[in-house]
Amino acid sequence: MSDLIEIKIPDLGGADEVEIVEILVQTGDAVEQEQTLAVMESDKATMDLPANMAGTIQEIIIKVGDKVSQGTLVAMLRPSAVADSNKTEPAVAEEKPAEQVKEEAPKAEPVKQQPAETKVVSEPVERAGKAHATPSIRMFARELGVDLVKIPQGTGRKGRILKEDVQAFVKKVMAEGIAQSGGAGISPIPVVDFSQFGETEVKPLSKIKRLTGDHMVRVCLNLPMVTQHDEADITEMEDFRKAHNANSPEYKLTGLVFIIKALTAALKQFPQFNSSLSADGQSLIFKQYTNVGIAVETPNGLVVPVIRDAEQKSLNELSAALIDLSGKAREGKLPPAAMQGGSMSISSLGGIGGTAFTPIVNAPEVAILGVSRAKMQPVWNGKEFVPRLMLPLDLTYDHRVIDGAEAARFLVAITQSLGDIRRLLL
Amino acid sequence: MADLHTEVLILGGGPGGYTAAFRAADLGKQVTLVERYPVIGGVCLNVGCIPSKALLHLAHIIHEAEEVESHGISFGKPKIDLDKIRSWKEGVSKALNVGLAGLAKQRNIKVVQGVGSFESANSMLVEGDEGKQVISFDDVIIAAGSQATQIPVFPNDDPRLWDSTGALNLTEIPKKLLIVGGGIIGLEMATVYHALGSEISVVELMDQIIPGCDSDLVRPLHKRIKKQYKNIWLETKVESIKALKSGLKVSFSGDKAPDAETFDAVLVAVGRRPNGLKVGADKAGIEVNDMGFIPVNAQQQTNVEHIYAIGDIVGNPMLAHKAAHEGRVAAEVISGEKSAFDALTIPAVAYTDPEVTWMGLTENEAKKQGIEYDKGAFPWAASGRSLSLGRNEGLTKIICEKETGRVLGAGMVGPNAGELIAEAVLALEMGADAEDIGLTIHPHPSLSETFAFAAEVVTGSITDLYIKKR
Repeated sequence: MSDLIEIKIPDLGGADEVEIVEILVQTGDAVEQEQTLAVMESDKATMDLPANMAGTIQEIIIKVGDKVSQGTLVAMLRPSAVADSNKTEPAVAEEKPAEQVKEEAPKAEPVKQQPAETKVVSEPVERAGKAHATPSIRMFARELGVDLVKIPQGTGRKGRILKEDVQAFVKKVMAEGIAQSGGAGISPIPVVDFSQFGETEVKPLSKIKRLTGDHMVRVCLNLPMVTQHDEADITEMEDFRKAHNANSPEYKLTGLVFIIKALTAALKQFPQFNSSLSADGQSLIFKQYTNVGIAVETPNGLVVPVIRDAEQKSLNELSAALIDLSGKAREGKLPPAAMQGGSMSISSLGGIGGTAFTPIVNAPEVAILGVSRAKMQPVWNGKEFVPRLMLPLDLTYDHRVIDGAEAARFLVAITQSLGDIRRLLL
Repeated sequence: MADLHTEVLILGGGPGGYTAAFRAADLGKQVTLVERYPVIGGVCLNVGCIPSKALLHLAHIIHEAEEVESHGISFGKPKIDLDKIRSWKEGVSKALNVGLAGLAKQRNIKVVQGVGSFESANSMLVEGDEGKQVISFDDVIIAAGSQATQIPVFPNDDPRLWDSTGALNLTEIPKKLLIVGGGIIGLEMATVYHALGSEISVVELMDQIIPGCDSDLVRPLHKRIKKQYKNIWLETKVESIKALKSGLKVSFSGDKAPDAETFDAVLVAVGRRPNGLKVGADKAGIEVNDMGFIPVNAQQQTNVEHIYAIGDIVGNPMLAHKAAHEGRVAAEVISGEKSAFDALTIPAVAYTDPEVTWMGLTENEAKKQGIEYDKGAFPWAASGRSLSLGRNEGLTKIICEKETGRVLGAGMVGPNAGELIAEAVLALEMGADAEDIGLTIHPHPSLSETFAFAAEVVTGSITDLYIKKR
């Protein structure tokens, strides 16, 4: 049995996007060579589409009204010799299975799922140059998910891949995987001998740094992240804060607690920011609690303690919790439980400087709020430039869960709350 | 609501279906097998491989008895008792039916007789003699096989127009029998009826019998049957068949077409069509292609994850040993094993006289694909074992990768060639090269040593032939 023949639009003499105005054949029709199958109409002329060989139309791909160009697939044709029902076939045995399978797959419908294409039954030829391994070893490799082609040479007779070779390969891959934490098929950064450039000293990374590093790579490889930037006018908030701090020295408030408060309000308004993706990525888990993580720099590295039920806490209580947790964090006394269960995290570099940055989401959370240094800026109020204290905010989010418009609204809600903290009472 | 629920449902009790059923049951699944006939075994056991081999055995004996006459032994003309042959043949099938029923019972497999058709992706309606029932299932394996291709314009209702099943029924020995289709099935039945006394004509559309097989392997068979049969018409098409009182009048077309001729019976053996369009696949959302095949992946899964398909219905070659292997894969995947159809080749055998068999890459295909190969051929005229059987036309050939010597394909023609091909398949699967085979001691004198000799032709170490150094 031979393959179906594709009938394509021939060279139309430069004409493009020509319309099919009539189709003269139907599926199952027998056609002669040069018989007109369809009529096309361009701006300038009407053209016939002839059959390039005799046979039976197996399928018509185009329909009237379609715009076609050179190379567009029009129909599938079974050439005469094969279409003939009287053809004698090798009844039971076919020695060309590879070709058969291709023929069986519904070629003309590329959109459909075609599991048959992966069928390995039929490719003795292609495999001739492939892995030199016996059926039982091929089964063993399949169970472990090892692609035998990746083992160039076995230790068996004439390079045959043995069970031990597969085991050794798995061990090697696992060892490399642990050493490099890379994965995802990404080649590692080349090793460089820095001592050739001058004196060097090797110091081991702290455990926290190593864990943070692993976590950051995991997040970067797994999450499609986008960062949204905005500014909050905190002139009045700062006035209030400074006045308050002057009057009640025992409960001094930092700007961060206001941001936490504004964040919890926004989380209430936009619950999708207080969610996580399920393990299979098919559903969203909404959290009924509002716990805010705060990135804290410590001598050993970055930790993110979590303030529980932040939305129920007053500014004073938030302030107390913050002092308590960051103190413990710096002393290295945070229990693991205190670093789990966050709704969203805040990374504030405002005390140090910077105009903007792109924080990395603390997955499985779906967003993180970055805070840079507030700066007095001239702001146009409609009549004149007035000096306002502007706080740059950066919101990085997991685009699988959150769309850009949502993120923009979320960040606007925070800037509005900080711009007029009376809103937080609403 | 379903009348019955089963973990694994298998549609079709042929070699693919029953192998899948047995394997799934052995792996701890609760299995129900739906079969439309009262016995399991399918086409292979009831109207295919097994009864045809029983008849071919008798044909070989008849031929051998004839041939030994010239070696000094004569039995006289054989007396043929058609009823006795038929009942013996049926007995062979029956013994296997009973054996299979026992194997199913020992595994607690429920066998439901009836014709199954999908109602949904999780249920099947089975219509049998005892009424209808709906069976729901977790997983299903479609093993509903194929049937002989009919040519619509032929008088298919005429009892003198046979398909392979009709030919195996052995209702009569026609004086003049035309075989339409020079493939394996047609030629096997030609062998049987020739031995029983029919005058055989074969008509084939392609330019050789057993199309697809390398011509050097077909030639010895062609040469022998050309003497035995009345006609072998190649590149000839049957134009029409008219049912007359005196017989079936067949007209031919083509450059070498003979005049119209009347036959007492005509066997149409032009291939088989898969039954993919007959199982209600659309109701379960299963993709079926225009030819009626159900596409599957290496795990035998259709486009619907828990619906598997095996055997003739998923593609060529339509062979029982392919179906059985696929059945095991499907059953194992359903049972959570990481199984896949990973075989490098499916061997083919024509149980003609001489037998023709091949596996892996054919020479035709190697040339077509531009693969560099070395070929080793050993004529059985130089095999003591073959000559002692009174036969000298056989040939064993091996195709090896030029660079590595690795076995890519092999083929044999000669008496019992079908039994020799398994070694070549093992060599291919094990990645053996010509040297490995030549260095393996084969018993002498045997037909099997011709495979080692062919390998030695490739390595240049053959002593049983003299091949001048190039």
